[in-house]
Amino acid sequence: MQTSGPVVVMQVPEILNVKEVHNFMQELGPLLESNRPRIVLDCSQVCSMESAGVEMLLRCLEEVLKRDGDLKLAALSREAEVILELMRVARVFETFETCEEAVRSFHAIPADAVPQDAPWYANVFNELGVLKQAS
Amino acid sequence: MIAAIIIANYEGQKGETKVCTQEVAPEHWACVDVLGRPVMGRLVDGLKRGGINSVFAFADGKCSPDDSKSGNDPNSISVWRAAGGKLDECRGSYDSVLIADCRTYAEFDVADILAFHRDQGRPVTQAFAADGPVDLWIIDPGRFRERDNIRGALTSGPAAYEQRGYVNRLEGPRDFRQLVSDGLNSRCRLRPCGVEVRPSVWMGENAEIGRGTRIVAPAFIGQQAKIGDDCLITRGTNVECNSQVDFGTAAENSSILSNTYLGIGLDLSHSIVDGKYLWNLRHDVTLEITDPAVMRPNAVSTKSRKWSEFENDAVGLSA
Repeated sequence: MQTSGPVVVMQVPEILNVKEVHNFMQELGPLLESNRPRIVLDCSQVCSMESAGVEMLLRCLEEVLKRDGDLKLAALSREAEVILELMRVARVFETFETCEEAVRSFHAIPADAVPQDAPWYANVFNELGVLKQAS
Repeated sequence: MIAAIIIANYEGQKGETKVCTQEVAPEHWACVDVLGRPVMGRLVDGLKRGGINSVFAFADGKCSPDDSKSGNDPNSISVWRAAGGKLDECRGSYDSVLIADCRTYAEFDVADILAFHRDQGRPVTQAFAADGPVDLWIIDPGRFRERDNIRGALTSGPAAYEQRGYVNRLEGPRDFRQLVSDGLNSRCRLRPCGVEVRPSVWMGENAEIGRGTRIVAPAFIGQQAKIGDDCLITRGTNVECNSQVDFGTAAENSSILSNTYLGIGLDLSHSIVDGKYLWNLRHDVTLEITDPAVMRPNAVSTKSRKWSEFENDAVGLSA
């Protein structure tokens, strides 16, 4: 059963001040309220980000996590990267070089979904082969 | 009698006289406090110790101590032309004139370069470091006749003095950080202005450190600087005078220039902060942070503070 919609990529505005945050949230808000929202924010154009912008990113992350979704940042400009590091939030977000990589990461099978130990019967057929050869 | 002319030329800033104010990013790193005193002031100190009788300084058409020659119209007069006027005045009164463009921080022995100049018997001597010429000359004002293109004349066929001391070209923020690091680690003669409260940790007068704050050597906290509670100042960080680092902020391998406020809970690394400007050396990016909660110029008025401080030194020397 499909429990979530497609991955949505959104372009973050060049300047993230209080006014721009308000405008951006009007677009982003409805997406956050969907079931298991999967959002990629393209930060390639960001050249200035005030604390209101950082706060918005954290609020969005909190909202999507509450709904069992995820929010990832892609193509961070150097400016955005420096500001997120400065404000100690860089490590909170999963970041990707490009939007494509970020989108693909939503479809990748998580490593812990793959069994790490081989089941007890994994070598049975090999052993049978050895027995055949011996006989 | 020996005189010195110091040039502080702001290339690309024609017609402007912005001298280290907080309104603009520092165009001239020599005017910025480094471990408690600007390179320009340190140059004056060095000349004073080296027995120079008078120091005249020019910055964008401004002259100290006697600015009657240069006037105050930077649109009509360049610093080099103003320096030429001063050279004219020096003829007859001084045996030699040392000219230094303080864009470069260079450590030299005044007596040694003067002795070399006398031995060579040429009208101009220029210092040369391993990586090329240094903007430091000795001239005989009586034999040096060029007035219109002084800089060109200084560089054509001078006697070459081998500059063996430390040289930093101060061409940008990276060089500035290197100078701070070299000063804190005793790799050059530039010493922090303050008391060494414990090995390689210096504090200026009236510097305040909050509770729970950790200062890891080498580090410098300038006079009147305030470090809030639970901060971390580490690995070659200098907090210059009148700056404030607020609660819980960490600064690593960074410079917080004079009169700068750095907000709460930040993580500053490999950077230089000056008022609202931030240079990040790791990402090689310059930012203007408009959010005053994050960083801003401190309330203290700083217009031309460093320059006037330097002027006082020059006046003192000339008297």
